[in-house]
Amino acid sequence: MDIATSRKTIAFLTLLSLTAALYAAVGCDLNDPDRDVKRLFPESTGFKTRYVSIDRKGGEALLREIEKRLGEPFQGLYETADVPYTMYEITKGDVLIGYIHGVNQKGKYGGLQVFLALDTQGTIRSFYFQKLTSKAAKAFREPAFGKQFEGLSLEDFYAYDVVSGAEMPTGRVSRILNPAPEAESDFRAALRATKKNLVIVDEFLLGNRHLAHFKAKGERP
Amino acid sequence: MKISILQVAYKNLLRKRTRSVLTVLGIAMAAWVLVSLFGFNKGYETSLNRDIDNLGFQMLVIAKGCPYEAATLMLKGGTGLKYLKEEIVDRIAREPEVDGVTPMLMQVAFDPNKGESGGLAVYQGVDPKTFPRMKSFLKFKNGGWFSDPGAAEAVFGYEAAELEQREVGDMYLIPEKDVEVKVVGVLERTGTQDDGSIFLPIGAVQKIFGIKDELTGIGIKVKKDADIAKFEAKMFELPDVQVVSLTQVKNTIMTLVATARVMVLSIALIAILIAMMGVVNTILMSVMERRQEIGILKSMGAMASDIFKLVWIETLILCAAGGLVGSLMALVTARITDVLVRKLLPYAPSGGLVRIEPGLVLTTLGLVTLIGLLSGVYPAWKAGRVRPLESIRSEEAS
Repeated sequence: MDIATSRKTIAFLTLLSLTAALYAAVGCDLNDPDRDVKRLFPESTGFKTRYVSIDRKGGEALLREIEKRLGEPFQGLYETADVPYTMYEITKGDVLIGYIHGVNQKGKYGGLQVFLALDTQGTIRSFYFQKLTSKAAKAFREPAFGKQFEGLSLEDFYAYDVVSGAEMPTGRVSRILNPAPEAESDFRAALRATKKNLVIVDEFLLGNRHLAHFKAKGERP
Repeated sequence: MKISILQVAYKNLLRKRTRSVLTVLGIAMAAWVLVSLFGFNKGYETSLNRDIDNLGFQMLVIAKGCPYEAATLMLKGGTGLKYLKEEIVDRIAREPEVDGVTPMLMQVAFDPNKGESGGLAVYQGVDPKTFPRMKSFLKFKNGGWFSDPGAAEAVFGYEAAELEQREVGDMYLIPEKDVEVKVVGVLERTGTQDDGSIFLPIGAVQKIFGIKDELTGIGIKVKKDADIAKFEAKMFELPDVQVVSLTQVKNTIMTLVATARVMVLSIALIAILIAMMGVVNTILMSVMERRQEIGILKSMGAMASDIFKLVWIETLILCAAGGLVGSLMALVTARITDVLVRKLLPYAPSGGLVRIEPGLVLTTLGLVTLIGLLSGVYPAWKAGRVRPLESIRSEEAS
């Protein structure tokens, strides 16, 4: 094979695979699990990955249950029961020290990927956008915005209504400030994604630890 | 009770069950390699052809130096792109061999909010008049193509839409440029690179990225009866262009695959030879052990041809059984072979890589049976030549 032909072959193969490579991973995995886990849990020594879906665990009934806890039905073409969720269980030696989980959320101008690092009780240690398409992306990616989520858990989010964007009665979620009022819909999308993320983690990893609290609240905020 | 010669041959093989099973396994392994190998050859070529057909054109004209375009995109975020003049499109379209041309302009925007340190977003500027015609296999999940060649609209491949959570009617923001476009179509999954693409009208891409009268590539659909090699040579005469003929690329890939195939085929042939020797050895040993028995059969009136036939049928049964088991093994393990081969190959097309069709199984069975027949000639001839009295006496003496 001569050099020219080799070049053409390389050109063809790279052209063929370029866009696919850029968009190959649909779902919500960490881009670089080894690096990201170490960044979010510096004390960790390892992690395990679990793949789950609502479809496989409980089907339609579980979907309805999760939608009820979220406070809104799943929407659109891509928020469905068969979406695979990738859950990272973080360990230090043999001891489980926390979880990392991300969800996709529709934003005004594109997709959002909201990741939460949680302790074993389901309390948020870190919040961050792995991907964010928004006119106010810079403001939302400021560390100060993510810091406002630290220490919150699903119990705090039960009072937050993802439809109206209000918290009744006002509590810790209401104290999260929108750094870009002109991008209110993206701010609400971030809060919805966080609540959805916490509900899914509670269902799949925490054995519904926070379900009793939801029921005590009369199943509606 | 009348027993057929086939039954006698079968019973003879069962007398030394382990030896017969091992011989069948030897032949089965060789048949397995053969079926898998030819199945891979067929599957790979079919998948590669489909991938190339799915591109919609057989030839791509790009600016000189563009073999490294993709790497440049990755490294420099599109700043190092090479361009063709838009006027070349008309020049190419006038050639008699051309069935259609479609200009393309690929652009890249840096998205600082993708991942930890940002990422690239690729946009394919396509001509709404010619591109859909060439890619007629693209089907929409929702919506359709652009309303206007310069409209601020986008069509998303299935995976790109899923990643960006876009549906028809949604707006999408092009990072870096801060330009909004309206989503007018979401394509169905195709299993090709189009799934990850975001298509915009070429005029819109030129406007958004500030590029005038320039392109990054021209897709050419050549007429079915045209001489592609001659046309390709003609294209090389155009100034500052590089021609990527997908037919040529396909041939190059197939040549690479063929090299690997020759190596595996050599191994398969050695395996077949070893299996053949195993068959000869098994049958010959069986003949030696049954000299007295053959002698008695002959003294009872069996002709040399009957003995020859009996031993030959034994060989045939061994080989046919081996061929059948091997073919079944290849069918059962086709999926595993696919996964393994995919890991080993630097480029594997989408779709199944191993395609085992009934014709292939029958050919292999025929081939293995023929090998069996050839392997059986010597032992059968040897058995046919056994002298009755000598063989009976020799047994008595021993």
